[in-house]
Amino acid sequence: MKTMDCKDVLANLSCYIDGEGSAELRTALEEHISRCRRCRVVFDTTGKMLKIVTDAEPFEVPLSVSARLYARLEKVLSEG
Amino acid sequence: MVRDRLRNSPITADMVEPTKVTEHDGPEGDLVLVERVLAGDRRAFEFLVRRHERRVFRVTLAVLGNIEDAEEAMQDTFVKAFRHLDQFRKEARFSTWLTRIAINEAIQKRNARKNFVPLAEIETEEEHFAPKRRESWKSNPEQLYSKQEIHRIVEEAIRSLPQIYREAFMLRDVEELSAEEAAEVLGITVPALKSRLLRARLMMRETLAEKFEEPPTLKTKIAHAAVDAGTAMAMRLMRAAGR
Repeated sequence: MKTMDCKDVLANLSCYIDGEGSAELRTALEEHISRCRRCRVVFDTTGKMLKIVTDAEPFEVPLSVSARLYARLEKVLSEG
Repeated sequence: MVRDRLRNSPITADMVEPTKVTEHDGPEGDLVLVERVLAGDRRAFEFLVRRHERRVFRVTLAVLGNIEDAEEAMQDTFVKAFRHLDQFRKEARFSTWLTRIAINEAIQKRNARKNFVPLAEIETEEEHFAPKRRESWKSNPEQLYSKQEIHRIVEEAIRSLPQIYREAFMLRDVEELSAEEAAEVLGITVPALKSRLLRARLMMRETLAEKFEEPPTLKTKIAHAAVDAGTAMAMRLMRAAGR
């Protein structure tokens, strides 16, 4: 496979993170990031960002919102 | 915590969950509950709500951007799902079917807003997005802040994403739908979904970098500049050599 430049690498970042793409593509990408500090930082920190988001479990349903949902459903389920 | 909350809510106070269905049963458990509702056990619907409440809230919030509208869309989603449950085709996942209803409800609400700007006018996904922040992050970024602070930082960062990117990010990276499922519920192609997701991830990285980046010292700045210049030169030479 042709040597990848930074733009090619960035375009395939998601693909790599999601475990997609051919072995050839992944090897070419790994080869690039092993010698390009800037792309390596973007890859590494994107992975860290995803881990932080996953661990944070954002957007819990507020208690009051949940209570009103169940109150409305109670009425709907009770309808004949 | 969710269980405790539900235990206190009026609808679940006298409920006995069907013994064969637990929170870990996944799609098969959903189908069992759907069958029970369709057979006349209306109360089984409450377990479906319990399983999917959070997802529905997140996707409606992703589209609408504020809690008040998301709440209304969430309620309407579950009411509609209950009333049209007989239209659910069991070869699909119940969660995907429900998510599609939630997205449609949210989109209808969004389109009805007086200040609504059609997406076509704000869509910029073809533009190249170049990362600006190129410094490493601290080795344990999660330990820099309390759990509550991280929660707030993450929620604010997601809220700050333009809508089309927020939707893609929420469905793929928060709700963990497959690319195909996320594309289906948003009514776009898989390549379009992937394009939006890439942009969303890069924007999120950029926003969180403000909080987690290692401030560069003069020494590291000089070292990085030297490495970057060397790498650029090496790449040019390799291209020239036809590698």
